Amino acid sequence: MTISIWRYSHLALALISGLFLVLASLTGIVLAFEPMQSAVKPYQPKNLAEVSLATTLKALEVEYDEVLTLEVDANGFLLANVVTFSGDSNQIYVHPVTGKQLGVPEVQHPIFKFATNLHRSLFLKSVGRFFVGVVSFLLCFIAITGLFLIVKRQGGWHKLFSKVQKDYLELRYHVVLGRWFLIPIIIIAASGAYLSAERFSLLPNARLTHDITVSTEDGDMGTKPYELDIFKQVFLNEVRSVSFPFSDFPEDHFEIALADKELLVHQYTGRIVSEQPYPFTFLANEFSLALHTGKGSIVWSLVLLLASMALLFFIYSGLVMWRRRVRNGKVARIQNHKDDCSHIILVGSETGTTYAFAECLEQALTHAGKTVFVSQLNDYTSYAKAEQLIVLTATYGDGEAPTNARHFAQLLKTNPPHHNIHYSIVGFGSLRYPNYCKFAAELDNMLQAHPKFEPVLPLYKVNNQSTEAFQDWSRKWAVATNTALVLPVFKQKKVSLTSVNLRVVSITDINLDDTFILRLRPSKTPKFCSGDLCGFTPKEDGMMRWYSLAKYQGDILLSIKKHQKGKCSPFLSSLKPGDMVQGNIKKNPHFHVPKKVSELVCIGNGTGIAPFLGMFDENQKNIPASLYWGGRNEESLALYAPYLSASQASGKLVHLRTGFSRVATTKTYVQHVLLQDAEPLAKKLESGAVFLICGSLTMQNEVLDVLEDISQRQLQQPLSEFEQRGQLKMDCY
Amino acid sequence: MNKSYMNRLLKGTLTIFSLALLAFSQAPETVNYKCMIQLTNYEGEGAYVVVSILDGDGTYQETLYVQGDDAEWYRDIEQWWKNLYGVRRPELDGIVGETVAGGQRKMTVLKIPADKIDAGYQLRFESAVEDQEYYAQDIQFPLTTENLKQKMEGAGFIRYIRMIPQAQ
Repeated sequence: MTISIWRYSHLALALISGLFLVLASLTGIVLAFEPMQSAVKPYQPKNLAEVSLATTLKALEVEYDEVLTLEVDANGFLLANVVTFSGDSNQIYVHPVTGKQLGVPEVQHPIFKFATNLHRSLFLKSVGRFFVGVVSFLLCFIAITGLFLIVKRQGGWHKLFSKVQKDYLELRYHVVLGRWFLIPIIIIAASGAYLSAERFSLLPNARLTHDITVSTEDGDMGTKPYELDIFKQVFLNEVRSVSFPFSDFPEDHFEIALADKELLVHQYTGRIVSEQPYPFTFLANEFSLALHTGKGSIVWSLVLLLASMALLFFIYSGLVMWRRRVRNGKVARIQNHKDDCSHIILVGSETGTTYAFAECLEQALTHAGKTVFVSQLNDYTSYAKAEQLIVLTATYGDGEAPTNARHFAQLLKTNPPHHNIHYSIVGFGSLRYPNYCKFAAELDNMLQAHPKFEPVLPLYKVNNQSTEAFQDWSRKWAVATNTALVLPVFKQKKVSLTSVNLRVVSITDINLDDTFILRLRPSKTPKFCSGDLCGFTPKEDGMMRWYSLAKYQGDILLSIKKHQKGKCSPFLSSLKPGDMVQGNIKKNPHFHVPKKVSELVCIGNGTGIAPFLGMFDENQKNIPASLYWGGRNEESLALYAPYLSASQASGKLVHLRTGFSRVATTKTYVQHVLLQDAEPLAKKLESGAVFLICGSLTMQNEVLDVLEDISQRQLQQPLSEFEQRGQLKMDCY
Repeated sequence: MNKSYMNRLLKGTLTIFSLALLAFSQAPETVNYKCMIQLTNYEGEGAYVVVSILDGDGTYQETLYVQGDDAEWYRDIEQWWKNLYGVRRPELDGIVGETVAGGQRKMTVLKIPADKIDAGYQLRFESAVEDQEYYAQDIQFPLTTENLKQKMEGAGFIRYIRMIPQAQ
């Protein structure tokens, strides 16, 4: 419930103030350059902390006929209002020690003048200022609600700066930039709102008044101001301004504004006639002004500039996110009627990304001749002809239901189905979060406990919106329900590929598992690394197939399983040494061995062993490395034995554990072997070892469950902790 | 070319010369007066103050000083705007200062044309504050040497002004 209040306020406030904010940020960008431009002027030749007020007073006395006022501006420049000996009254920058004129204050550039007016009052005087003030105030709340949403999304304050879940660009950077710019934006908005409140007298009076007791003392009228001790003790860095006595009469005083107080000083005796500290509101006002305008600080002006630009981006990306959410929320297409459909897809999604998977599945099911109804979990109701219920749901923040799935549990109670329905659940989430797919798991428990629902498949978890994993699930589901289901191809991001000519160095015979090793030598030496992918496009269908590669002594080593009905693997298996073949190399940086690593734990099954062979071979520093591998039997392992024993002999691989599924009566898979080594594995996890997993997605999910279990039991920490530290790398298919 | 035409040409040229000469010789001589404007303790934004010279009939002659640099608000100083600034847009360079807030004071130098002192002219201080009152005659007095040494009490946002001739 709470999350939607935050989100609705965030959106509503942003929509109300959006147009003003666009104007304010655009003009803000322009205005940020003003303080930068003036701060670089060469009007501060001396460190003000080393120059006493008396020094400057003396210099000015010599240089000018009369001085009316002296001001130290935000840049530390001395601005004096003087009358020259020729009788001209001038406003000039002066040298603190010599008193000489350094420059003349420039008239505000028309562009800045225009931008200031637009920024401050939209050319509407007080009405405009009022609006701008209100918008600043709203912006505070937009930023604060935004901050809460991000914290919620990231799973707590301490994870604010952890990695951001993969998503579409606008959403991702709304979050990424939000983390950096929300605080500056809150400062800008709050200081702006404060200045407005001051302007409309909503705050206590910031004025300061002096009570002057009429002094009777005259002093020696020949005394020069610079001879007075008080001015010798005050240094320019503490001074805001000096107002000189109006006349020679002793009752006219020096008015000295210092950092925190104002003094009236007798012009001949130097006695402090009155001393008043500035009220808090005055200092707050000055501080707000400095923060809001960036006056006197190039660095802060730069922050203001970037924050203004970020604000524009937030407005744009926020609109995109809103549009997507609205579009996904209500299904605009002509839908089948819920009571006519045999297949019901229910979606739980916070950001709308899960809908892409739902649409894809809907298309495939429709193509397979099924009647499909897609809706959100919150719209759950009775479905007269439903046979299959498929739930695709994300989890929000700390294991909560996404907004459009909150009421499902309640609805299920009030609308129990009249006949039995098969169900399956796909949970979308990220391993980086401690409660990976927790809501999906809750739903699974809920439906399992329900007498009318029968599971088709166990809960399937999809990490980081992996399309491969979703494909894998769909194949399993298709088999389990005996449906001819082919998912349409997901839109793939374009990646730059390196095309290379490869010469076959050697090729092994096909073993019992229909698997063989292919060693290829690239004609050029393109940069690649074990864990990258090598792809081939068979002529028959033009579809690229990717294989995880090992870099073995400069060559590419692939472990390939020949599928009898396949198009690519039979072709590759028919190659002879010396043949040339065209291939592509794709970088796969998330599956590289990190540069700094204390220990490696490689886990894989079947052909998933390939990249590890190269990683061991390249392990020049003899970093302790272990391999857990699952295959059918000893003979499956024999294919790789020469590579493994060579690495073992040179200390590049120290620990090898295998599990065979076709040897004994009890099938041993790699996850079972891991469980046997629970204790040492927990220690490795704790000490920062990097775990690499390569092989089938089924194996990956089993292995992750076991590792999660080990981590929870032995270390009392969720596996996500280690995933966040980059200790978990996966490349499964 | 006849003689009368030559004469007219000569006369014309002479007139232009003499006019030019007159204009130069009339470059007004000014006297510097130091002026302090002390504001009352009102609440709100800084006050706009305009100091102008008016002739005996109350017609604006020239502007001596403008306190307030945001032209957006000049319209609020009604009389000055209607009769001088809004009509003629004279150049204000060098005679514009920033506003000061209630209770504060401002010091400046007014350059008063010598020929307008003791010659039946008036000195007017009008004041206005954003979204508050406007005082057309906050202070107004005959421009005499005697008056220019006095302290004058204001009726609006100005508490008083003090002027003294600037020592030469």
